[in-house]
Amino acid sequence: MSNLTIPGSQSTPTITGDWEAGQLSMQGDSYPENSFDLFNQALDWVERFFRDTDRPLTLELSLLYLNTSSIRAVMDIFDMLEEAHRSGRQVAVNWHYDHRNERVAELAEEFKEDCTFPFSIVPHQ
Amino acid sequence: MSRDNKDLDQHIEQLLANPTHHGHPLQKALSQLWQVHLEERSRLERITHLSDAYQQLARERETNLGERFNKQLRQLEKLARISDRYQHMMRDLNLALNEASNRDVLTGLGNRRLLMERLKEETERAARTGRGYSLAMLDADHFKEVNDTHGHETGDRVLVEIATTVQAGLREYDVCGRWGGEEFLILLPDTKAEEAMVIVENVRSTISQIRVRADLDLGSVSISVTASIGISEYALGESFSQTVNRADSAMLEAKRSGRNHSVAAKSPTAD
Repeated sequence: MSNLTIPGSQSTPTITGDWEAGQLSMQGDSYPENSFDLFNQALDWVERFFRDTDRPLTLELSLLYLNTSSIRAVMDIFDMLEEAHRSGRQVAVNWHYDHRNERVAELAEEFKEDCTFPFSIVPHQ
Repeated sequence: MSRDNKDLDQHIEQLLANPTHHGHPLQKALSQLWQVHLEERSRLERITHLSDAYQQLARERETNLGERFNKQLRQLEKLARISDRYQHMMRDLNLALNEASNRDVLTGLGNRRLLMERLKEETERAARTGRGYSLAMLDADHFKEVNDTHGHETGDRVLVEIATTVQAGLREYDVCGRWGGEEFLILLPDTKAEEAMVIVENVRSTISQIRVRADLDLGSVSISVTASIGISEYALGESFSQTVNRADSAMLEAKRSGRNHSVAAKSPTAD
């Protein structure tokens, strides 16, 4: 088992992976200089989790602004979840957003489009 | 293999097997020829089989590549679509921030930043076209007393009333903004001081009719308010801050000479 902790900054999201709970969380804005370095750690973690356990995985996302390479990385993570889901794994995404910012919800809808696993878009007060 | 060939195969096998032909020179030749033919045929079949397999493989790989290409294309399209939407969101956010940074939160009028921007533009326009503008600095009289007696909330309501009244009394292309606490600056493009005087005098008289209710310990009272106004006309060659300063001085002159009236500043050349 291994937990993942990447502290956030103004331009990068806080990323935490809780191995025991089977939960990966990402919060904040994401427009880093090098998205691939940042998100590769998250992708690796998800890959290891699928390989070394057979437990369910939940993604808790509170992402606001994403630059293009960050969008790409998030799509890659969803692809991994989709593949795992098709092979029988239990996976889910909860995308949280401020209820005053409907546009974030619309963007989450775009991400959700091709996903067949449970994907909730959750407004918050 | 066709029906004819099968018949021929059978026929030859029978001929070769028939003991009556044994020892005949043609029988030996046919037998050798038949062996060569069978080997050739089996080689041909093997080659055909291999060739088919290669073709099948190539076709599968092509389909595979096509599928992968289409998948990546769909991903790329999705990526572009989402990215565009994020950019759109940022652009709208920028516009909203820009709008917010130019607005006075209390009155909804333009703020000092917006006024400075417009003053700069109008001054540049005046330099190009030779057509100037007038300014009116409007200050609520004895406003501190309203705040001190009735509280800031009531004071704020008075300011909102003044803002609404001024805005309603101006032409569409005039600009009114909150310059400071109880000070409003009115920019009247393409307007001489005399015309500006008529317009702002109207505004001033309407302001004096404003009544705002305020609650005191002994019941509610109606508060009225007046304003003093200083007017200046932009003089070619001067900076807009000089024009503002002249309007400000004229407003102070109006205060000193009894309040609730308007005073026009002298043109700088007349000094």
